Formats: sequence, structure tokens, C-alpha cells
Amino acid sequence: MEVPCKTFVIPNELCRRAGLAGVWAPLNEVAVFPSHLVKAHNPDAPSPYGPSNASVYKVRQQVILFEPILRKLVNEANGTFLSVQELISNNVLDSKVELQKLSCQYRSIIRACLENLQDEAMRDKTNYKEELQNYITIFYSVECVWHLCEILFVENIPGGVVLPHLLEWIRFHFPKYERKAATLLAGDLVGIETHPDYWQTVIGSLMQGRIEVVRALLRLHSAGDSKPFKLVDQALKAMPTYNIYSGVSATEFNLKWKHWLVDTQSKIDAKLFISEKHLHLMMRLSVGEETAWNEVQSHCEAWYELLAAWLVFTEPTVKSFELGQFARRCIARMNVGLRMRHLDYVLLAAMEADIIQVIKEIQQMSENGWFVSHLTDLLYHAGRLVVLDNNPESHLVGSRLRECFLLDYGTLLMGHTSLWQVGLSYLDHCPTEGLKTIELLLPRLPLKSEARTQKIIREAHKRDLPQIIQSICKIQAMNSLKRGHLGNALTWGIKSQDGTFTSLLADKFLREYCKNGKLLNIDLLDSLGSSMLISDRLIFLGKYFEFHKEYRSRNYKESANLLISLLSSKLTPKYFWATLLDDTIPLLECNELIMSSLDTFTLLHCLQEKSDLPELQDKIELIRLGAARNLSRALMYEAQLVK
Amino acid sequence: MVQNVHGTFISEKINKIRWRPDPFNDSHSFITGSWDNDQNNIKLWNFEKGEDDADIYPFVIQNYEFEGDVTEAKFINSDYCVVSSSLGSVYYLKITNTLTGDVQITNEKLWSNIHKFKNQDPSLCTSFTVYENDVVTAGEDGRVNVLNLQNKDVLRTIEEADSCSLNCITFVKHSEVLTGNSRGQMKIFDLRVKGNQPTNSFMLSGDQIAATCLAYHPNQRHMVVAGDEDGSLTVWDLRQNSFPVNLLSAHSESVSEIQFHPDHPDQMFSCSFSGELWHWITNKPGSHGGKLLNVSEMESNSWLSTESIKNKFEVFMLMPKLHKAINSIDLSRDRVLCGCDNEAIYLINKVNIYS
Repeated sequence: MEVPCKTFVIPNELCRRAGLAGVWAPLNEVAVFPSHLVKAHNPDAPSPYGPSNASVYKVRQQVILFEPILRKLVNEANGTFLSVQELISNNVLDSKVELQKLSCQYRSIIRACLENLQDEAMRDKTNYKEELQNYITIFYSVECVWHLCEILFVENIPGGVVLPHLLEWIRFHFPKYERKAATLLAGDLVGIETHPDYWQTVIGSLMQGRIEVVRALLRLHSAGDSKPFKLVDQALKAMPTYNIYSGVSATEFNLKWKHWLVDTQSKIDAKLFISEKHLHLMMRLSVGEETAWNEVQSHCEAWYELLAAWLVFTEPTVKSFELGQFARRCIARMNVGLRMRHLDYVLLAAMEADIIQVIKEIQQMSENGWFVSHLTDLLYHAGRLVVLDNNPESHLVGSRLRECFLLDYGTLLMGHTSLWQVGLSYLDHCPTEGLKTIELLLPRLPLKSEARTQKIIREAHKRDLPQIIQSICKIQAMNSLKRGHLGNALTWGIKSQDGTFTSLLADKFLREYCKNGKLLNIDLLDSLGSSMLISDRLIFLGKYFEFHKEYRSRNYKESANLLISLLSSKLTPKYFWATLLDDTIPLLECNELIMSSLDTFTLLHCLQEKSDLPELQDKIELIRLGAARNLSRALMYEAQLVK
Repeated sequence: MVQNVHGTFISEKINKIRWRPDPFNDSHSFITGSWDNDQNNIKLWNFEKGEDDADIYPFVIQNYEFEGDVTEAKFINSDYCVVSSSLGSVYYLKITNTLTGDVQITNEKLWSNIHKFKNQDPSLCTSFTVYENDVVTAGEDGRVNVLNLQNKDVLRTIEEADSCSLNCITFVKHSEVLTGNSRGQMKIFDLRVKGNQPTNSFMLSGDQIAATCLAYHPNQRHMVVAGDEDGSLTVWDLRQNSFPVNLLSAHSESVSEIQFHPDHPDQMFSCSFSGELWHWITNKPGSHGGKLLNVSEMESNSWLSTESIKNKFEVFMLMPKLHKAINSIDLSRDRVLCGCDNEAIYLINKVNIYS
């Protein structure tokens, strides 16, 4: 199929001179910018275009589904879509019946949306009105096609006797005769035939198979008691209607029908109705007289209106698979073959039971894939796409086709600031590529606030995508860091469960301490608990804070133990050795004995090991001295203890 | 059960929904605040009951365009409400009826960007709490701001009240507020004390789980319930502090709001990101005719009781589970409103209040 392409001009001088390039900006946008292609063999010369102000243009497709008034449709349909998926996954026995109910639900959503649009179009006086009218046209077609597809593909019609449903469909979409009849019957009943629409309504109702309405209207005619009227009433009353449950077989019905036709024809031939030309026409119509049908077909707005009427009087037992040929005949009859609108093609394809054609056609409806994805999904679950799998000629597979549409639709919604959650629920139901797509799209959502971030993380969590959670947490941590919110950065770091990254953040705390002698975010460090175990550096930080806490509350013994365990832990970062060793001095010089000889040996051992550190040089003597004095005290004390 | 639920799709995700109090009648008006939209709004809604009482259609009477997401909204009285934004500002809005009969929403006072990070980036104001004319706000920047509705200046700022993001705040006394942060650390600040040190702090649980919302018991303010991001509810008696008296694992995802029934404190409502809306009852009449709790037990607060009482809770789902998060609930007598991420609001009429 040839797709017409559209050209958009980027209004930029530099773009015009240099040429364009574009890249996909996450999700629904293309970033377009001036670019000059440089190849390997181009001479290395300064660019003729610089220096200049280059702009980046963001180009995006207009998505009508993002209009506030249509967002209701998107959200509401999402609920129904999820119900369909639930129904299928629950393996309900009579899922056919339930599916039909859900299909009705979809239609009522479309109907609600249409009514909404109509209200709004009535109220609106600005340019937007035209747009609204446009939407109404689109969704009217959607409703019309959906209804027919529901009848033909979803509903389980016993015996394939499709006519009653078809009539219902026609009545629903061409309600004008019904409305007129209602106003006529509700209005002034005397001299009803003087109403200009009277005969048109009678014949229109007859063509929609509303025999009761026709009889009611005829009875009200001032000449209703005359002979031709009586005869018509009788004939219409006697007209057999086919009903699968009436216990009458199709052959038996056909016999009755033939009989009625012969009977009516003989009455026509006897010129019993000739005095009333409208009645004459009606009777000729009901026996299917070609000339009579030629007279009325111009009143029909569409070929399918004629089709239903024609079937009532000529093929009342038509089966759904025979519809196609009758449809073609009607089109030929009305001579609209060349003036077929898009909607006509879709309906024709549906009547010919060519599901692939229907799906192909409805993709062209410009409602951004809402219709095609939901309908294809429904048809797939109704088992209507199995034909594809069995057909060796087509390259399509039913499940893949459905998934393809859902992917497109879900991705489209993911690109919207607010509808991304809805988009996710469609991608969830793409069995092969859904998860991968989510994996790609989820990290591309703008994070904005923590509340939103939490929701995104939650979605990643539900789908078991730890690597995405980790990367989002790390981004958040970096953002907090940039904002000078170190404590929050560490919290996000811990949430990310990434050891190296958390070490990096813990380092910031330690370096800050080295520089200013102040430990930041004490409330946080105080309540790290077991979460500090994710990184060595964080353990060190946590323990070092504990040391400070003990020291401040004068538990010197405890603090000394912590300090010694830190010294011997091999967790100490290189830049922190000087600080850590420095911290031993007050403990060594304390009035009472705090560090045992063993502790002091450990300290001296560390000191010896690190004696090359340049920042330690001016302190090393002092520490050594303190250690020596403490050692002498400790040895003496311990010696006493042994005795 | 389902027929008294009325859903309306409104084309924006709702973060907060609040009844407009009506001192004399059943209120029939409420506000919604949206989030995550290109243009967020505060809308004032009204609904009229149809003649046949079957269907209820809320309609918008006034729209106020709001900058940033609406993060919290609370009515002071029927004409004034306070709303906070994701850009760190707090608005004091007035709803007035003009002489022509229109309704207007005007901005009485604005405390602009009172929450911001050290690099001056705006920070989300996550929550605030109101006690008469005093408002205390908390933000992602870990700050606490004290405001008074009569005063356009910020009365006091506790800088670095928390090193993480504060998620929720509530008054426990007129001089004390309780905050919960993104690691589940709860702190009590005495507003009379200078400095940024809390008078008390304790952890929600050992596992660094964020507190998401707080509510206090209507008659016994020392009893506080917190919801967390795992969907559990934790109950404290602040007189005993530090250790929760009761831990109820409830929803399957983050609890978004908790509300006690103001007239029947033995009943509570909670909603969650998992799309659940629950009604908690402790005094439902038992099968033997009497109440599950006898009189002596009633005197002690049943929310505070431990193990033995756990099985005496009854939980009702007010609505079939939604596919998207419920962000906010509010109740007025026996009617519950909720606002959700599926861009719909729901009104539930005639909720069974067991009294």
C-alpha cells in the first residue's frame, strides 16, 4: 500500500544551508538540528557555517488521544482491556459470552465519548469546534465498525442467522426514522398523513423491518379504514419472520415465505393497492420488485442501509458467510463503487469476513491506534485470528499481530507525561517483547519528583527489573548530591544496593570530616542498622561514627575498642589513616588507662606500616611518644594483674 | 455494594481530593488537585443528586491553574484551604461567591519556594499539617517550615531537620510535630525548642522502609498510625514511644493515605497504590448480638491493643480493586471520595458506619 508522505519545513536558515539531521529523543519526539555531513575524504577545513547559533527543534506527532476530552476514553478503555486479559487468564468456561459483554462495554465507552464530544462541540464557539467535529467523525466510524465486527466476529449467533442483529445495527446507526416515527406518534394524531415526512417515515420504517411501527402509523392514517389500508395491514401482519428459536426449520420457513410472496404478488397483480400509490410501492417493495427498489434506493444514505432492507424482504434467512456477495450486489446497485469512503471499505471487508483486510483498513483511521489495538486484541481472544496461523500463504501470526499493535499503542502512551502508567499495562500483555520494551522505556521516563520516582521504582519492582531500580536510585543519588543533599544521596545509594557506588558516597562523608572535622547527617549515620553492610566504606563510616558517639558519651573503653578494631580492620581508606591515628592521642593520654598493651602494640604496628605517609610526619613523633607512655603504664598494670 | 460507587473520568491524575466542609448540611462540593500533568489544576466540583437518586454527576464549577503538582490540600474551613506544590510553595486559597453568583478561587497568600535545596533548586513540599491557624510543612529538602495563616513570613525554619527527604508530618500537640522520612525514621520536634535537634526519634522498622503517611486518633492524639511503602500500618502510643504497639500488614503496596472517621474513631479508612480502598472496623457487632469488644475493653483504645485484638479487626473493601494507584481519600459522614491514577474520581455513598 502506498503511504502518502508529508513534508514539514523547519523554519531555520542554518538548517536550510547546512542540511538536517535528526535523532530520536526519548519516546515520541525527534530532535532535529542543522548538521553537515563530514566524510573521511572531505578536506579538513574550517566549517563554513560557524560560528552561528544552532537551534534544536523538537518535532512530534500530534496525538489526538492526548486531548483531555479523549483521555477519558484512553483511561476507561484501559480498565476494560485489563478485564479482558483477566478473563482470558482465568480460563472461564463461557468466555465467549463474557467477551461479548466486554465488547459492549468498549462500545459504551465509545458512545460516552461521542456524546461528550457532541456536547462539547455544541458548546464550543471557537476554532476548536472543527477539531471536535473531526473527532466525532472518526469515533462515529469506530463505533460503526466495532458494532458490525462484534456482530460478525465476537457474538455467537446461533445458526449464523445474522439478519436480526444486522437490523439492530442499522437501526442504531440510522435512527432518524425511529425518531420521526416517535415524534409523529407523540404529536397531533388527526390528519397525520399531512405531515410532510409521513410517507417517508412509513417506508423508512418498513425498510428497517419495523413492521409494528409501520402498522401503527398506517392505522392512524385518516383513510386507515379503507380497503387498501386494511389489506396492507393484513399482509404485513401475516408476513412471516424467521426466528431460530421459533421451532420452525429454515425449509419450512421458506415454504411459508414463498407462500406469502405468491399471495401478496397476486394481490398486487389484482391492482388492489393501485389507488394508493405509497401502499402500492410498499407492497411491491416487500415482494422484492426490482423497479420498486430502484425507486427507493436513493433515499438510502449508505449501501449498507439498503443491504439490510433488501435482505429483510429477499433473503430473510441469510447466513453471515453469505453477506459479502449481497454487499457487493448492493454496492453495484447503488452505483457507489467509485465513491466508496474509507468506512465503506472497512464494512465491506468485515462482511466478506476478511479480518486481515479489516485490520489493515482500520489502521488508517487516525485515532493513533486505539481502535486497532483494542479490536485486534478482542478478536484474538475471540479466536478469530487463528485463521492467520493456519494460512500458509500469509506471513502473519495472530498472536504476533496483536502484540505488535499493543506494543505500538503502549509505547505511544509511555511518551505522555501522565499516561505512562496506562501504557505500561498494555506492554505487560505483550508476551514476547513487552518486558524488553519496558526495560528500555522505564529508565527513560523523566523522574521529576521523589513521589513520581517511587511510583516508577514500584513499577520496575513489580516486573522484577532490579537493574533498572538500581540505575534509577543511582540517578536520584547523583541528583541529591548535586543539590548538596548528601544525606539523601546516601539513602538513595543504600537503596540502589550498589556497593561501589555507596562507597563513593561514604567517601564524601569521610573526606568532609578530614577537611572540616565535622561528621554530617548524624541522624542518618546513627540509624544505619544492617543497611551499612552493603559496602566496606559504609561499614567503616558507620563504625567510625559509633566511635565518636562513644567517645562523646565518655565511654572511653568502648571507643578505644572500636578504634582498635578499625585500625586492624583493613577497611581504612588511605587518606583517613592520619585522622584515625590522630584520634588515638587523647585516648593514649587519658588520665586512666584505656588501651591495653595489646591494643598499643596493634597501634604501633599500624603506625610503623603507615610511617611513610606525608601528612602523618608532623604527628608521628607525638603518637609514638603517647604510645610508649601508654605502653609502659599498661605493661605495669597488666603485670600487677597477673600477680 | 458496587451500585453505590460512582466513578467519573476526568482526564487528569488526582493526587489529592478533599470535601469542602459544609457546617450545616451534607457537603456536596469538593476539590481535586492533579499531578503529573503538563498543566496541573485545582478544581472545585459540585454534584447534585438526580431526582431518582440513581446517578450522580459531579461537574466542575471552578478551575484554578496550579503551578507544579498538587502535593497536599487541606480545608481550614468551608471557604479557605491550604495547598502545597511540588515546587516548594504553599498557597492559601479562598473560595468566594461573587455577587453575580459565580464562584471564584483566589490566592490569599503565597509562601513561595519555602522548600529548596542548597543549590536553590526547588524542592517538593511533601506534606503539611494544620492546627488552627498554624501550618507546619515538610519537604524533600529535609526542612520543616512553620507558618501562620495570618502572617506572610515564614515564622521559623528548621534547616536540616532531616538529612533525607521528609515524607509526612503531623501535629501531635500544639507545640509538637511528628515527621516521617524516606528511611522510616520518625522524629518529634518541639517547636518551642531552638536548634534542629528532635526531642525524640525512633524507627518505623529495622529495614529502612519509608513512611508514606501519618494519621492520629481523633480523640487520643498520642496514638499515631503510619503507613509505609510496603503497605503496612504501624501504630504507636507516643506516651510509651520508641516501640510500635501494633503492626498490621495490610496492603500489598505503598499506603497512600489513612483517615480515621472523626465521629467514630473505631473506624478507619486506608488506600494504597495497589488500588485498594479499605474500611477498618473494630467494633462490628458479633454474631452473638453484642459487640466484639466488651465495655471494659472499649475504654482502652482498641487500636493500641496488641496480639489478642488482631483478629478482631474487620476489613471491608469498599470498591473492587482498581488497576491503578489510589492516591487520596476523604470522607464526610458516610460518603467516601477517592482520587486515582486512572484519571478517575470515585464517590462511594452510604458506607456502612457501625456505630
